[in-house]
Amino acid sequence: MTHRILVVDDEAHILKVLSLKLRHCGYEVITAVDGEDALHTALNQAPDLVITDIQMPYMNGLELAVSLLGNKKTSHIPVVVLTARGHTLSACDTKIENVKKVLSKPFSPRGIAELVGSLLQDTPQSERTASREAA
Amino acid sequence: MASIVVAVVFALKWKKYKLEAEHALAQHHASTELTINELESAKIHGCIDRTRRRQVEAVFEVLKDAVIVIDAHGEVLHTNEVASSVLSCTPKQAAGKPIDEVISDHQLLATIKDAHTGLPREGRMYEQEISVGDSKVAYEVQLQSVGSIDDAHHAVVTVLRDLSQEREIARLKSDFVSKASHELRTPLSSIAAYVEMLIDGDATNEEEQKEFYEVISTETERLRRMIDNLLNISRIEAGLMHIDRETCDFKMLVDRAVTNMSPQASEKSLEIHTQLSAVDLSVNGDSDMLYQVIVNLLSNAIKYTPEGGRITLSADSDNLTRSLHFSVTDTGLGIAPDQVEKVFDKFYRVENYKRVAKGTGLGLNLCQHIIETLHSGQIGLESDLGMGSKFWFSIPIGGRAAQKAA
Repeated sequence: MTHRILVVDDEAHILKVLSLKLRHCGYEVITAVDGEDALHTALNQAPDLVITDIQMPYMNGLELAVSLLGNKKTSHIPVVVLTARGHTLSACDTKIENVKKVLSKPFSPRGIAELVGSLLQDTPQSERTASREAA
Repeated sequence: MASIVVAVVFALKWKKYKLEAEHALAQHHASTELTINELESAKIHGCIDRTRRRQVEAVFEVLKDAVIVIDAHGEVLHTNEVASSVLSCTPKQAAGKPIDEVISDHQLLATIKDAHTGLPREGRMYEQEISVGDSKVAYEVQLQSVGSIDDAHHAVVTVLRDLSQEREIARLKSDFVSKASHELRTPLSSIAAYVEMLIDGDATNEEEQKEFYEVISTETERLRRMIDNLLNISRIEAGLMHIDRETCDFKMLVDRAVTNMSPQASEKSLEIHTQLSAVDLSVNGDSDMLYQVIVNLLSNAIKYTPEGGRITLSADSDNLTRSLHFSVTDTGLGIAPDQVEKVFDKFYRVENYKRVAKGTGLGLNLCQHIIETLHSGQIGLESDLGMGSKFWFSIPIGGRAAQKAA
């Protein structure tokens, strides 16, 4: 029942702390350091959920969410957005269908793990994960 | 507020002069036999009226706000040059014309005509977007009546204050607060997250615990540097920074910076070369601040030059211009031409540099302030993307304080 989470941030410390917390909670974690890298990784490794920072080089977090939504292979993946811009943005504000939650930095790794748990509660593992586990 | 008071006071005086002039004219018409003395007297009165009129016009012209005064018939009594932006003709051509013919912005015209039919004693004030050429400009419109509405010499004074600059300053302030908050939150996020991980027992062994404490420590230091830089920049901008001018041995400052930064350069196998002119490199300035600039430029070169690269520090003095020139040249990542201009802006960070090293986004802005604001010098950058960068500054050798100690 291992879900695969893609964590995207250009801040190495944030990438590390989130990956570690989610691994401790039993998730498989893959990482990317900018939007372009994340899009490529998502298309190749089919994660069950994406957690992304907004402000990143090359492609920001919201552009990444739009790109994921625009591709049949990734349009179903829920996206959680992290922002250091304060409380100026909500998931509704983004008007991007796959953005399920916008969290403000500083964030609680414990809180994110709980959120990931609730978002994936009713989400079956992707075919990719299921077939990998069956093998 | 000051403009409307001045404009109303002068409109009142104008009204008084106009009454006096009309009275003199009436007397003139009534008189069938003028004596030589009376003719002389009328000429003198005419001179005084012209002088007063010029004084009033001069006052209107020095006002930074646009002023439009209309009389009881809704005709333009006076406007100033600043008002040209909202008029469809020149201020001279506008004089004596009905207000409808000289103002093309419908909303402004309606506001003035409405005021003409009656205004409360305290006047009225609006904020309006007014057409100026092809664009809309935000104005504060103040309206004040002079005399009562049934008075033949009733006038309405309209003063328009262009709000563009105020709005731009407000936008810049808000942008700055938003950027500062974003940049401060980034290290704060790491600190908060790693502390919570330690509390929750997510560090599974001693080595991991130590690593978490180190992240907390370096990110706290980054936050402290950011706050220090912000405060220093703000103090320099406010003219409150105290600088200790003395004769500094610039060679010594460069040598000290190289010695102190050598361990970081060695970690990346970077070669540091110094090319210091044999001539005397003494300069009148604040040695701590100049040292801070040298360290900042050298530290950036170390951060953004890939392993095995080369960094050259050069210093020379020019006796003709009486200035000292210093540069740090690296074989690093270089900066794209469209980003070169922005690197000295507060919180600007070259996008592809972020991943390479952490910074406050304030260091170069502080360097610019120290060199240009406090030492009357110049700072700049020449760069080729992928080839390397050359950051340089020049300062007057014996320059006087650009800013006195507070």
